[in-house]
Amino acid sequence: MKSGPVEYAVEAAEHDSSSSSSPRRGLSILDFVIRVAAFVGTLASGIAMGTTDQRLPFFTRFIQFKAEYDDLPALTFFVAANGVVSAYLLILGMPLSVLHIIRTGVTKSRVLLIIFDTVMLALLAAAASAAASIVYLAHKGNPKTNWLAICQQFRFFCRRISGSLIGSFGAMVLLAALIILSAIAVSRRPRG
Amino acid sequence: MMSGAQETAITIDESKSGRKGKTTVVIDKSSSGKKMKTTADKTALHTFKPLPHPHARFKKGLAIFDLIFRLGAVAAALGATAVMGTVDQILPFFTQFFQFEAQFDDLPSFQFFVIANGFAAGYLVLSLPVAIVCIVRPPAVGARLFLFIMDTVALALITSAAGAATAIVYLAHNGNDDTNWNPICQQFTDFCQQTSGAVVSAFVAAVMVAFLIMLSAFALRRH
Repeated sequence: MKSGPVEYAVEAAEHDSSSSSSPRRGLSILDFVIRVAAFVGTLASGIAMGTTDQRLPFFTRFIQFKAEYDDLPALTFFVAANGVVSAYLLILGMPLSVLHIIRTGVTKSRVLLIIFDTVMLALLAAAASAAASIVYLAHKGNPKTNWLAICQQFRFFCRRISGSLIGSFGAMVLLAALIILSAIAVSRRPRG
Repeated sequence: MMSGAQETAITIDESKSGRKGKTTVVIDKSSSGKKMKTTADKTALHTFKPLPHPHARFKKGLAIFDLIFRLGAVAAALGATAVMGTVDQILPFFTQFFQFEAQFDDLPSFQFFVIANGFAAGYLVLSLPVAIVCIVRPPAVGARLFLFIMDTVALALITSAAGAATAIVYLAHNGNDDTNWNPICQQFTDFCQQTSGAVVSAFVAAVMVAFLIMLSAFALRRH
């Protein structure tokens, strides 16, 4: 008398990763793409600043006029900070982001990423602005403190260090966007 | 529990893998199929009751912490802005052409510092009512998310300002031989001290705002 039992499987919505909502997966893919862009930006900035070197063709008996990134501590900090951020993105950020594309249900690693991204944002912001300060001084100098602009003599050096700031500031904006994306993804859990 | 052929029974099995796991509903349709009687467990029924908002006390505790740190960040940011904005040292000697005076608007980095910290401090003050709303109504996710996003912007502003001012303060203390920039702290001692203090205060504010962001992330996770 029994027709075959009809089974309806009702799955709770919380730990559902196989049929995940496509907005969540879209957010994760966007997160990964932005992370790759930020990695490229910081890497390019660090390399551009770190490999610049200009020697002037004249010299006195005591010193040779040269300009490198390690002559100015702010630029050294800039190169180091960009190296740290791009290493973090390569080693921790991008693999975890790929994990979030594959399994969209995890939130603990998302919160971990938010924390690390915040720290990296602060580091990158401080380094980029310190370098921007020095670059501005190199271009314009400051008459009140009697600091002279050096861009007239070191033109190539000046152009290089000015250009390398762009990648870093762009990566800063991208990192901020990443933090906000992760927060939206974490807070978007459907309540059953 | 399966009943006889005259009844329809719905058996609900709670799976063992956690309280939010799969729940299998077996509907055994008999040939008459008129009445449906559920003979389910009390524990299984519990999953279908509308739950009161969980984690409300946890989120309330986080929100109170948030308010305390927000007040600290307001104090630090306002202090940094005020100290940098009011620094003014006039040296007792002067030449024929100009008087040696040092203010914050002599250096563009310090101008940026005052403006950016001013914006951040103003935002932090305005966000105090929103933080109080988060304490009073813990389920408010929109307010929490808004605070999170604006806190990120504030963090970027404060750390940028602090970093830019640090570069200049370092130069003022140590100078740079390769570019022939001389330190000025020997003459402008008060100016140097006050600007260094303002920079330290801005970094303290930045650490507090970073902590606020992490608190908000934990609160959002428990949504």
